[in-house]
Amino acid sequence: MSRPSRSRAGAVIGALWKLNAAEELQYRANFVASFASTVFYLFTALLTLSLFFSHATALGGWDFWEVVVLLGVFNALSGLVEGILRPGIGDLAAQVRSGNLDLVLSRPVDAQVFVSFRHIDVWRFADILLGLGVSAYALVHLGRFPSVLQVAAFFVTLVAAALVVYAIWVILMSLAFWFVSVENIATLFDAVFEGARYPVSAYPAALRFLFFYLLPIAWTTTIPASALTGRLNAATGFAAALVGVGALVFSRLLWRAAIRRYTGASS
Amino acid sequence: MTAAARVWARRYGALMRNAWMVDLQYRASIVLWVLWGVMEPAIALGIWWSIAGTGAVGGYTRTDFARYFFALTLVNQLTIAWDSWYLDRWIREGDLNFKLPRPLHPVHEAIADNIAYKARSAGTLLLIWVVVSLVWPVVRLPFAPKTFAITAVAVVLAAMLRFLISFTTGLMAFWTTRATSIMELHAGISLFLAGRIAPLSLLPPVVAGVASWLWFPYMLSFPVTVLTGAVHGPALWAGFRGQLIWIGIWLFACRTAWRAGIKRYGAAGG
Repeated sequence: MSRPSRSRAGAVIGALWKLNAAEELQYRANFVASFASTVFYLFTALLTLSLFFSHATALGGWDFWEVVVLLGVFNALSGLVEGILRPGIGDLAAQVRSGNLDLVLSRPVDAQVFVSFRHIDVWRFADILLGLGVSAYALVHLGRFPSVLQVAAFFVTLVAAALVVYAIWVILMSLAFWFVSVENIATLFDAVFEGARYPVSAYPAALRFLFFYLLPIAWTTTIPASALTGRLNAATGFAAALVGVGALVFSRLLWRAAIRRYTGASS
Repeated sequence: MTAAARVWARRYGALMRNAWMVDLQYRASIVLWVLWGVMEPAIALGIWWSIAGTGAVGGYTRTDFARYFFALTLVNQLTIAWDSWYLDRWIREGDLNFKLPRPLHPVHEAIADNIAYKARSAGTLLLIWVVVSLVWPVVRLPFAPKTFAITAVAVVLAAMLRFLISFTTGLMAFWTTRATSIMELHAGISLFLAGRIAPLSLLPPVVAGVASWLWFPYMLSFPVTVLTGAVHGPALWAGFRGQLIWIGIWLFACRTAWRAGIKRYGAAGG
C-alpha cells in the first residue's frame, strides 16, 4: 500500500462534500428548520444577556454589545461543530462499537482525515455566516471598526479556536477506543461548551481556572472576540495560536495511540 | 390493601425493576446526562455570583443565588422528563406497535421509567450536594423537616406536570415529524418563565406577570423556592392550587391527544 498522500485525501474529502451537499439540497425544508432553530437560540441568548445586563452594567468588564460580539463567535463555532464535527468525528464512537471503522482503516486515505471530514451538514454552515454577521453588527453598534491587524488576529485566533474545539472532539471520541460504552460522550462537550457563551472574565476564579486550563474553552470564544473588541495583546494572540497548533498535534498523537490499540471489532 | 392496589403495586414493581436494570447498563450515559444538567445552572450561578459581588441583586445575595441554583439543579433532575423524545421515536419508528398489544397502557411503562431514572440521577446529585456542602458552607440549607416534606409534595406535582407536558408533546409525533422541536421551543421558553436562568423575581415585571398566567413557574420555580424557604403562607397554597389546575389541564390535553392520535395511527397502519 502506498503512503496516503495529502492531495489524495483532499480530493476524496472534496468529492464526499460535494455528494453530501447534493444530497442535502434535496431537503430544503431542513434548511428552514435548521435556520429557524439557530435564530431561536440566538434570540434566547440575547434575552438572557439582556436579563443579566438589566442588573449589571458589565460582565467581567465587557459591555452588552461586546458580549454580543462574543456571542456571534460562539454561534459561528457552534455552526462548525454542528456542520462538520458532530456528523463527522462525532460518529466515531458508534463506528468503533459497530466495527465499521475497519472499513475506514483499510482505505488508502488518512483515516483521521477521512473519519473527521467525511460527512457534513451543509445547512449548518449558515450558522457560521449568521454568527459572523452578528459579530459584525455588534461591532457597528459599538461604532468600533477593527484595524486590518485586528481582523487578521481575529481570523488567526478563530482558526486556533476551531483547532482546539476539533482536538476536544478527537479526545472525547478517542475515549471510545478504551471504553466502548460512551455513546453520548458528545453531551460532555455540549455541557462544557455552554460556558463559552460569556467572556471568561465574567466567571468566578474557580470556573475561570477550569475553563482556561482543564477544559480549555476559554481559548475558543473569548480570545477571538477579544481580538475584535481590541482587548487582545500580541502575547495572548501568539499563545492562542500555539495552543491551537498544540491541540492539533496532541489530537494527532492521541489518534495514533488509539489506532494502535484498536484491534477491530471482529477479532 | 385492596386486591386492585396489590395488582398495581406488583405491576409497577416489575416495571420499575426492569427500568432500573436497563439503566444499569447505561450508568456512564446517565452520569453524562447529569453533568449536562449541572452545567447550565452552574454557568448561570457563576454569572450571577459575579454580578452580585458583595451586595445583592433584586434581594438575592451570593449565598441566595448559590442555594437557589443548587436547589434548581436537584429539582430539575427530579422533575425532568425525556418522554417526548422517546415517544417521538416510538411513533416514528413503529416501536409503539409492540407496546400497544400489551395488557398495560404504555404510559405506565413511561412512568416507571421516570421513577427509576430519577431515583438514580437525583440520588447522585443529592450525594454531590451533600459532599459539596461539607466544604462549601454557602450551599448548606437549614435543616427543616417540615419544609423538606412540603418540597417533596411540590416536587412530585411538578414531576407529574412536566411528565404530562413531555408526553403530550411527544404525542404530536402522530401528526408531525418535528415533535421534538416543539419540546425544544418549550425548553427555550422555560429557560426564563420557569426560572432556570434566574429567579422569577429578577425578571422584568411584565414577563413575570405573563409567567404567572402559564404553567411554567409550577414546573420548577415554585418547588425550588419552597425548598429554599422563600414561599410561605398564602403563596404556598396558591402555588399548590396552580400546580393542580395545570396538571388537570395537561392531563386532559394528554388524554385527548392520545385518543385522537391512536385513531390516526391505526388508520395509517391499516
